[in-house]
Amino acid sequence: MAKNSHHVVPAPNGGWNVKKGGAERASKHFEKKEDAVKWGQEISKNQGTEFYIHKRDGTIERKSSHGRDPRPPRDRDTHK
Amino acid sequence: MPPLVPEDFDKNVFINCPFDQEYLSLLRPLLFTILYVGFNPKIGLESSDSGETRINKICDLIRASKYSIHDLSRLQSSRRNEFYRMNMPFELGIEYGCRHFASDHLRRKRCLILEKSRHDYIKALSDLSGVDIKSHQNKPEKLIAAVRSWFIETVGLRNIESPTVMWYQFTDFTSDFYEKRKSQGFSDEDIEEMPVPEYMHFIQEWLRRQTQND
Repeated sequence: MAKNSHHVVPAPNGGWNVKKGGAERASKHFEKKEDAVKWGQEISKNQGTEFYIHKRDGTIERKSSHGRDPRPPRDRDTHK
Repeated sequence: MPPLVPEDFDKNVFINCPFDQEYLSLLRPLLFTILYVGFNPKIGLESSDSGETRINKICDLIRASKYSIHDLSRLQSSRRNEFYRMNMPFELGIEYGCRHFASDHLRRKRCLILEKSRHDYIKALSDLSGVDIKSHQNKPEKLIAAVRSWFIETVGLRNIESPTVMWYQFTDFTSDFYEKRKSQGFSDEDIEEMPVPEYMHFIQEWLRRQTQND
């Protein structure tokens, strides 16, 4: 797992968590996904990591590259 | 002479669930959980041989698997004019019969029944009243927790990571999976419609890499 990433994922007991890639604990919990995205995006930008927003089923909804992505997505918002 | 026990019988888990796009959100974490704890999911979609009838294939998989997981959460029709879905209870019946009437290793078979809510199944399958079932509330993280509990309670596994860690592992896997498949030229649609054996292969590959990195 790429450690240089941040993820917005569904929290096991409801709401949404922001976690680092490979971490076994969440960095922060939010009730609303939009708040988790906002906070996670900021952290990801500051730390220059890849930022993944997951769907309710755990799959990927969107990815933003804040790090040195060797293969930046052509059809996605990169927030550079 | 006693009947031969199929290879990997004690590690095989037959999966009885719907195979539609809607159920993929639960099928993926289900496959991941089974592989994560070191067992082999056996599913009707594993091979497509037009020369073999579906029911024969299912009977073979049931016979080859000590364990089985039956998700009855999608029995009820959800749209107007949609038929009630009978495959899952039918296959559960085969599983039950296989275990009940057997006199050999098949008597050791164990199963897990999953439902959306704890008592939903009673409305349609009252023969199962008194049977212990687990509910997943249609949520992948709850499904992972339910299947993990069953592996501990019924299969006897110990020292498995917490449900939360397993859920996070699954989301880490989906990120890596997405990234790698994209770099190999898979479109979003290719990823969404990936055949189950191919998806399972990628989970196994990822889990192997995780173990090597530990």
